[in-house]
Amino acid sequence: MTQTVAARRVEERITLAALFVNFLKVSLLGFGGGLVWARRIVVERQRWVDDHEFAEILTLCQFMPGPNIVGITTCVGSRLRGSIGAVAAVAGFILIPWTIGLTLGGVYLHFTEFAVLRNTLGGLSSAAAGLMIATGIRLLMPYRSRQTALLFAALAFTGMAVAKLPLLVVLFGLAPVSIAIVGVASLRAP
Amino acid sequence: MKDPTASLVLAAHLALLSSISFGGFPTVLPDVRNLVTANGWVTDREFADFFAISQVVPGPNMILMMSFVGLKLGGIPGAIISAFATFGPPCLMYYTSYRLWDRFRDRPWQQMARRGLAPLTIGLVIAGGYVMARAVDNSWQSAAVTAGAVALMLATRINPLWILLTGGILGGLDLL
Repeated sequence: MTQTVAARRVEERITLAALFVNFLKVSLLGFGGGLVWARRIVVERQRWVDDHEFAEILTLCQFMPGPNIVGITTCVGSRLRGSIGAVAAVAGFILIPWTIGLTLGGVYLHFTEFAVLRNTLGGLSSAAAGLMIATGIRLLMPYRSRQTALLFAALAFTGMAVAKLPLLVVLFGLAPVSIAIVGVASLRAP
Repeated sequence: MKDPTASLVLAAHLALLSSISFGGFPTVLPDVRNLVTANGWVTDREFADFFAISQVVPGPNMILMMSFVGLKLGGIPGAIISAFATFGPPCLMYYTSYRLWDRFRDRPWQQMARRGLAPLTIGLVIAGGYVMARAVDNSWQSAAVTAGAVALMLATRINPLWILLTGGILGGLDLL
């Protein structure tokens, strides 16, 4: 029996300040993909949720409109401290980085022509792509003994990266089949 | 505010788009671009620059990008309402659906859905990284940076910031 949200909240009350600060970190560090940092901070460092639950939240967010990373922020905040927690997490994620970004952005506008800056960004992007791939592989680890799970992860990857299908087509095309297979398997199981 | 009407029209449009931006805000970028360039609010070049800048600055990129458009139209207040229009509606939707999802946590159908959907999500994350790598890695050196980042991230608990920094420095020195 897993602990209910309420029970866990009583046990270890996570402060709103902690939510604010940690999602501020996710936001500020989230160069080239906040997902890498969201998982590292929320799952590895703070241990607020485990990989399973993180993947579950991410799944929910992918089926919703809007920036996934803001969705993860909202859901984790809400998971730990309810609506006020969601507000604290989202405020941490947006407030300060947005102010810095808007200020820096005006300055950066004048420097986009410089080759050094472009090359630096290129190198950063290459590394960021690698971190993103590794984060996905990490999230896949809890499923490594389930062959059908690996198959559907591979199909989603292929649909998106190789066949270059639109996200909605991949999600809504594979989701019913994947769920049906899990359903059939669980009916057969005693 | 420089142009209150334009700012409000932009905000209303952004609020609508953010509510239907399945797959993230980048999917509705072409639509925003059409609106702002057709109205002569922002030039094509400015729009491209806003995109580049929002990718450079850490933090909520798309919210920031829309804020640059808002800033151009209505100054700081314009930037603020654009930001709210971009993240407000999705936030409410995320919150509401997460609450609903959480309420039915122990139902068998939901457990099935969870187990069926999670692998797809994870496959998409890896695909996202792969597509990004294909777009930015135009030499074997930069591909090696990506591969090295994957290996280090998986094999060690090193802070990813060092990996990013190394990539940035190698790029800045024109070695990639």
